[in-house]
Amino acid sequence: MSKLSDLVRSPVTRAVIALLFVLILGGIFNADGSFFKWGTHRDMLRHISVFGILACGMTLVIITAGIDLSVGSILGLAAVLFSLFTIQLQWSPWIAFAACLMIGAACGSLSGGLIAKFKIQPFIATLAMMVFARGVAKWVSGGQKISTAVLQQDGTYQYVEVPGVFNFLNSKILNENIAVVTLIFLFCILTCWIILAKLRWGRHIYAIGGNEEAARLSGIPVTATKLLAYGLSGLFCATAGICQAAQELQGDPEAGMTYELTAIAIVVIGGTSLMGGIGGIGLTFLGALTIGYLEKILSINAVGEASRLMLTGVIIIGAVLFQKFRK
Amino acid sequence: MRIRLLYIYLAAVLSVTLCITGCGGGNTSSEAGSADEPASQWTIGMSQCNLGEPWRVQMNQDIKNAALDHPEIQVIFKDAQNDSLKQRSQIEEFVSAGVDLLIVSPKEAAPLTPPISAAFKQGIPVIVLDRRILGDDYTCFIGADNKRIGKAAGQWIVEFLAGKGKVVELKGLMTSTPGQDRHSGFRDGIKGSGIEIVFEADMKWLEPQARGEMESALARFSEIDLVYAHNDPGAHGAYLAAKAAGRDRDIRFVGIDGLAHEGQVYVKQGILSASFEYPTGGKEAITTALEILAGKEVDKEITLMSRVYTQNNIEAGGEWIK
Repeated sequence: MSKLSDLVRSPVTRAVIALLFVLILGGIFNADGSFFKWGTHRDMLRHISVFGILACGMTLVIITAGIDLSVGSILGLAAVLFSLFTIQLQWSPWIAFAACLMIGAACGSLSGGLIAKFKIQPFIATLAMMVFARGVAKWVSGGQKISTAVLQQDGTYQYVEVPGVFNFLNSKILNENIAVVTLIFLFCILTCWIILAKLRWGRHIYAIGGNEEAARLSGIPVTATKLLAYGLSGLFCATAGICQAAQELQGDPEAGMTYELTAIAIVVIGGTSLMGGIGGIGLTFLGALTIGYLEKILSINAVGEASRLMLTGVIIIGAVLFQKFRK
Repeated sequence: MRIRLLYIYLAAVLSVTLCITGCGGGNTSSEAGSADEPASQWTIGMSQCNLGEPWRVQMNQDIKNAALDHPEIQVIFKDAQNDSLKQRSQIEEFVSAGVDLLIVSPKEAAPLTPPISAAFKQGIPVIVLDRRILGDDYTCFIGADNKRIGKAAGQWIVEFLAGKGKVVELKGLMTSTPGQDRHSGFRDGIKGSGIEIVFEADMKWLEPQARGEMESALARFSEIDLVYAHNDPGAHGAYLAAKAAGRDRDIRFVGIDGLAHEGQVYVKQGILSASFEYPTGGKEAITTALEILAGKEVDKEITLMSRVYTQNNIEAGGEWIK
């Protein structure tokens, strides 16, 4: 008996139950059987991947008892830069990858540095980065989407081929059964799992979130760990930005607007505590599936925008309340 | 030691970021530097409600290009970043700076009517672009008619599909007037035909959203003949979804806006069957402004004509719709 109640109390079980609840909803409102087709699930996984990648970095940051509001903007910046590098400047994709990931990590560590060294609150530091990175994205792109139509000096447009890397990232592999971006998402989940569960860094991240002062006194490098968490978050944002650009076949400086909210919702619905110290990447994965299925079910049933927003709000609150009652 | 390493690291990443973004920015952004040119005879203030949308970036570009041919005018641009109150104070700034003429593309009618009205009453001619204000305290309104464009798109689709077919409608934000008008105009245009709307969803003008909604439509309906999206990015997103499902050859796509670097390109590439132009009116605003400044009478209302771009006429520069 006590084993069973332990099981029900565990956050993973709670997250699975929330997901199952949404899946049952999908089974009931299956839109003439569309919900039972594999294609629907594959498309859901593709759609949620970018948000999921953002949520990976967000999980690391939230476990340190921080928050990262800049994820959407860094995504936009990376999307613009990646398109600029590969489409307009015709760089090799590998150099473009490296450059975008570096800039993403730089943006993240910059906010991390402000938070760790200068004791600026995470909310404020990443809010500033959110505004700043969006500004850089708009400035670099001149406010226009960076697409395969390249503006020439004389005001006409010249069209270039879509770089192969875009088509690859935008494709599905394994007999068209899974999108490449979904695999990237799974890879990010795996990376976070290794960091959090297998490496010393992971224990440091939990320790800081649990009690920063105690962590400092026990000799944990608090500054470096925070820098790492925010830097990794920036890195994941850049990855998500590259995926976003590939799926849109262009770099939109407005891309990722309000995505930070979805990323936070994914982390919280999974059961990671905003107070820090408690949570895990597996929970975030379950949270991503829950949010993804919820959106998909509303979409295949062609639910109107107003009802969609109200239902999403109600279900998020329901899921979080459910998580809260575990103690 | 560790702290020093941190500083070195931060300095390195900062300089790399600045260098790379700086190099990228140099050749893409162009500012209208007119500080060292001879003083112009007239100053025009242009208040843009939101430069976050490519279509509005295009509007400013059209104004800038049209003004280049007229050294007697100087145009100052302000961007209200989608904030009505910010736009309000920017209009007031223009008035106190004593501009000779105001061009305003207002975010919304109610909050921007008082400042525009006040400027007009002080004797500053005002051209209102694209969106209307309340009352008639302005010199001239220039804009296109979304209802008419939606209707033309509907009629074109009826003809294109020979009177019947299954259509998906991907709507722009339905709380915005362009979204409502492009919807109702379209429904007007297909009235009485055998066109059936099998799926409709609000994609909020956003391409990734449109792609997700289209995936749902594809999962649900094995037979779709055409997608009508309220803007070209929406139609493009739908195309990407269909392409990923291997159904892009069975479905036709129609969008609205027809920007030179967006809709027109998609039509040229064969992605869209048609794109309906939603003109910015930037050029017409400058022409009208020059007439007003020269003391001529202008019409209170100028409705812009728009073109349809199809694969047959794109090389010839599109075709005017009636």
